[in-house]
Amino acid sequence: MSTIVEKLRQYSKPGYYDKFDYHWTMTIDLDRCTGCEACVVACQAENNLPIVGEERFAENREIKWIRIERYWEGEYPDIKMGFIPMLCQQCDDAPCETACPVYATYHNQDGLNTQIYNRCIGTRTCAVYCPYEVRYFNWFTYTWDEPLEQQLNPDVTVREKGVMEKCTFCIQRIRIAKDNAKDDNRRRVRDGEVVPACVQSCPTEALVFGNSNDPEAKVSKMMKSPRGYKVLEELHTTPSIVYLTKVQS
Amino acid sequence: MSISVLDALRPAKKPALLGLVVVVGLFVGAWVHGKYFSDRSPIQPIEFSHRIHATDNEIPCQHCHIYADRTPVAGVPSVSKCMGCHNSVPSVRESPEILKLATYWENREPIPWIKVYDVPDYVHFTHKRHIKAGLACQECHGPVETMDRITRVASMRMPWCVDCHTERNVEHGRDCWTCHK
Amino acid sequence: MAAIAGPAINKMSKISRRDLLQFIGAGGVGVAGGILYGEGVQRNVEFLIPQVVPPEDYSPGVATWYNTVCNQCSAGCGISVRIREGKAKKIEGNPVHPVSQGRLCARGQAGLNVLYNPDRIRTPLQNAAQRGSGNYAEISWDEALTTLGSRIGRLKIEGKAGRVRLLTGRTRGHLDELFAQFMGLLGSEHYQQYDFTYPAAIRAANRISFGVDQLPYYDIKHADFLLSFGADYLGTWLSPVHHSLAYGHLRQGRQGRRGKTVQIEPRMSLSGAAADEWIAARPGTEGLLALGIAHALVNAGNYLGSDRDEWSIALEAYSPSTVSAETDVSEESIVRLATEFSAPGTSLAIAGGATAAGTNAVASVVAVNALNYLAGNLGQRGGVIFNSDPAFSATAGSRQAGLRGMLDLVEAMEAGDVEVLLVHDTNPVYALPENVRFRRAMENVPLIVALSSFHDETTAMADFILPTNTYLESWGDDVPDPGVGFPVASISQPVVAKLYDTLAVGDIILLLARRIGGELPIRLHWATMEEFIKERWREEYELRSAAGEDQDFEAFWRASLEAGVWGQPGAATGDESVPSSSSMIASITDPVSKFAGSESDYPFVLHPYLTATFTDGRGANLPWLQELPDPMTSVVYGSWAELNPVTADELGIREGDILEVESPAGSIRVPALIFPAIRPGVIAIPIGQGHSAYGRYASDRGVNPIHIVATQVDDQSGDLAWAATRVRIKRTGERLRIIKTDGVTRTLGRQILGPKNDHA
Repeated sequence: MSTIVEKLRQYSKPGYYDKFDYHWTMTIDLDRCTGCEACVVACQAENNLPIVGEERFAENREIKWIRIERYWEGEYPDIKMGFIPMLCQQCDDAPCETACPVYATYHNQDGLNTQIYNRCIGTRTCAVYCPYEVRYFNWFTYTWDEPLEQQLNPDVTVREKGVMEKCTFCIQRIRIAKDNAKDDNRRRVRDGEVVPACVQSCPTEALVFGNSNDPEAKVSKMMKSPRGYKVLEELHTTPSIVYLTKVQS
Repeated sequence: MSISVLDALRPAKKPALLGLVVVVGLFVGAWVHGKYFSDRSPIQPIEFSHRIHATDNEIPCQHCHIYADRTPVAGVPSVSKCMGCHNSVPSVRESPEILKLATYWENREPIPWIKVYDVPDYVHFTHKRHIKAGLACQECHGPVETMDRITRVASMRMPWCVDCHTERNVEHGRDCWTCHK
Repeated sequence: MAAIAGPAINKMSKISRRDLLQFIGAGGVGVAGGILYGEGVQRNVEFLIPQVVPPEDYSPGVATWYNTVCNQCSAGCGISVRIREGKAKKIEGNPVHPVSQGRLCARGQAGLNVLYNPDRIRTPLQNAAQRGSGNYAEISWDEALTTLGSRIGRLKIEGKAGRVRLLTGRTRGHLDELFAQFMGLLGSEHYQQYDFTYPAAIRAANRISFGVDQLPYYDIKHADFLLSFGADYLGTWLSPVHHSLAYGHLRQGRQGRRGKTVQIEPRMSLSGAAADEWIAARPGTEGLLALGIAHALVNAGNYLGSDRDEWSIALEAYSPSTVSAETDVSEESIVRLATEFSAPGTSLAIAGGATAAGTNAVASVVAVNALNYLAGNLGQRGGVIFNSDPAFSATAGSRQAGLRGMLDLVEAMEAGDVEVLLVHDTNPVYALPENVRFRRAMENVPLIVALSSFHDETTAMADFILPTNTYLESWGDDVPDPGVGFPVASISQPVVAKLYDTLAVGDIILLLARRIGGELPIRLHWATMEEFIKERWREEYELRSAAGEDQDFEAFWRASLEAGVWGQPGAATGDESVPSSSSMIASITDPVSKFAGSESDYPFVLHPYLTATFTDGRGANLPWLQELPDPMTSVVYGSWAELNPVTADELGIREGDILEVESPAGSIRVPALIFPAIRPGVIAIPIGQGHSAYGRYASDRGVNPIHIVATQVDDQSGDLAWAATRVRIKRTGERLRIIKTDGVTRTLGRQILGPKNDHA
């Protein structure tokens, strides 16, 4: 028990993850984001998200690993709409990780907040602890109308009833890139070699993904923008997603 | 001593013995199943012998399992590949098992081999990385070249994987997301 | 155990026959139980199925990517499709394609739902009962083609081929040529296209303004100031993915230079949400507003062309004060917009959406073109760049029927002048106002043949349905429209083997030509569409390679297939346009749209709008798009009518109250949604839902606002003025819960959008 506590303390020391090869990070430029939701469909296609049906939506049981939140500001005619893509923030001090009784979610050496489906027993505690509301529970085993199941991505598990799921930063794509790097005898993957589905699809190039342990990576440069901020930073969750605020004219 | 135990059991002697026989039978049944009927060594649609191919004829593994060092999946040889060789091996052309193969080929049907080594769908496993790390096929699959019918030698369960990763000190080899997808 | 069992058995040597049998039975039960247990705990038998003959480029567990062309809207984005074990897994933008540049919108990515849609038509069908009943019997291709071939062949012999009509959607590339040749050889001049989203007014206006019959390249990427009149360039207008790329660059792609965008529209669209300034001018007066800005621009001495005086006179009546009263946009705003538009740096004005769908659509777009002309944006980087003639002799758009053409077709059908109607890739029963009575007119046509992958409202009237391959299973080619400023052509190729007993539409035409006989099979001699496309590309290649290219054609063809696109970046852009002040001035005399219905009877303006997901209703049968929350409202699975909060308050309407929305042309019932960014007096209803026969995901869901649009024609383009209808609303007293994913839509002091951003 004490070793676990010790380990957890170690993890939450600032800079703990700097010594590893990777710290996967995303920046989202809200000045580019138009709320078009291309990322939402990209994620659905890549990660085998279920088609849940109208009734499930009515019960707020839809599953979208990335969603666009919308916030109005002002009243007609001086009204503005602010879009913000919301997905798992891959927090370095993730509240969800402290909650899981079976370590189905923990932080790995790449700075990723993991979710291991076959370990999850479905207590849903993590979802309660998450201030970003980006964890989704499978209340049902979903099926696909034949032949839609032919589209399912073989690199991603199809989840069943009773497990929690959430954004993985497209771990399957990270894995393929690392595999290629090993084949080429490279220690690290190249900047831009890993592109999660949402980042890949973004028509305005608002999303940038990369390894922030590499100071030359594009994402490291984007993070330094004076417009950068983290959502609900005051909760000290230390998210791995840096948003760049929209420029007000 | 044995008599005293039996005496103690006397009132329930016959039912107890009957129960005992059932329990022993259960173990025997499970063993028989494991030995002869299980997925450990299932009877395949063609009585293919790795011994004849790999030992007697000295064909290397990756001559047939061509994808093993290149992709996640080792691959079973296509029917055309089997026929490619067997067309030029007249000595066994009339053997009943080869005739089965020829029938599949003539009907352009794949051979429904039964999978012996299988991991669940939530596991990511890649042959390529293991081969490139220098592992011999036999380290996981056993002495396949001596088997007439293929028999699974490992449990293929997570402790078995993790033990090996720990022993060999695989980098991040115990991170869940190395193998779970 | 043995210690017990051993002596026990010794002791029991005098075992009775009955006991023996009992023990044997018990043993048997035990062994059987053990075997059953073994069966129970073992995994299901899985099989290793080898290939019979392995394909060349196949590796198990490794994805291959094939390039082709997206067909989900008419932008013509290049796409790459990820294939694993022969199945399509994901669609992404083709990185080397100049339109999409590796990116793709939601709709394009949902193309997999088209391919693997459970409601696809899988075999040829023949109507087995009364028309429209949906009762079809399966027939063979041979049967279908023989019947149709002989029917059409007889008409041809009798010299009545003109009674055969072909109606398609927006068909481009060599498929369009094949259709034209087929109809030409048949002897019918009635090959038309109908696409609700076709920018007829923009093309007509460009003809008038610049003397070019094409869509130019609007260089949003390099603009410093973008003024959009109703054009939802980020969602639905012309080429949304390309414009989104450009928008990203306009905002943050240039060091120290951030472009500004202004959106003029009565209901905030995606582009309006992105804009720095959103101006809800009075509906139908957007063209007038453009003229007011032009007036201020010329008046301020910012136009120095030789025809300055002509413009001063022409714009005299449109002083900012006059225009301000009509448009409900303040005078200062008009003058300021004029100043910003003519300020140093690049500026660009575009028009679309409702601005290009009034009774004065062309006049409005010409007024916007005039702005570009007066600010010197033509042919400039960051302005309007004219495309060269489309590559590969592709025809573009001249066959669009518009409302006028469709009314003619209806008249012909009603008069019994149409004997055979071939329909492909268009759904006029859905995408025309009910008043046009297209469906009723179809009843007069003796033989209707639909070439379609899906049942829809139009194919429901067909006698024969010939199932087509989806675009992911077909050969074809395409020239993007609008172009990208240099010659480009894309090839589409099948990325998976076809799923069902379907045929590519080009192959159906070639087969039909053979059944009809005569000179058709001789002239249309290609065995397949693939052969036809390849031959045309060879001809084109030989024409161009005279300039000294040293590749042979096969290498060129392979390279083009691999890239999915052929282009000549840097090649001279376009024929010079000839802007004509006089024709522009002559066309702007009618700057205000006329609405059907009087303001006293119908106090609200109906604002139907295209959504980025369903466009003209085509996307509604794709489950991923039905489950994609609407970007502005987060609603899924349904229709709604948007009202300004103040209007709603006055009328006592709450969210979910079912309203009866009645126009002079008809009425629909739809739940109300309070939407803060819509002009009071306007009711906005999204287009796309309200299908009656479009598969399990779309049917019997929501309403179709096109059906209650009054049939008014924009005279100069001949197209439907779909944004020029007034309506009245009535509460029915019934309620329906609108399903949406949003919770609280205010930040409530939380710094969610960033520390500097929060004023709520």
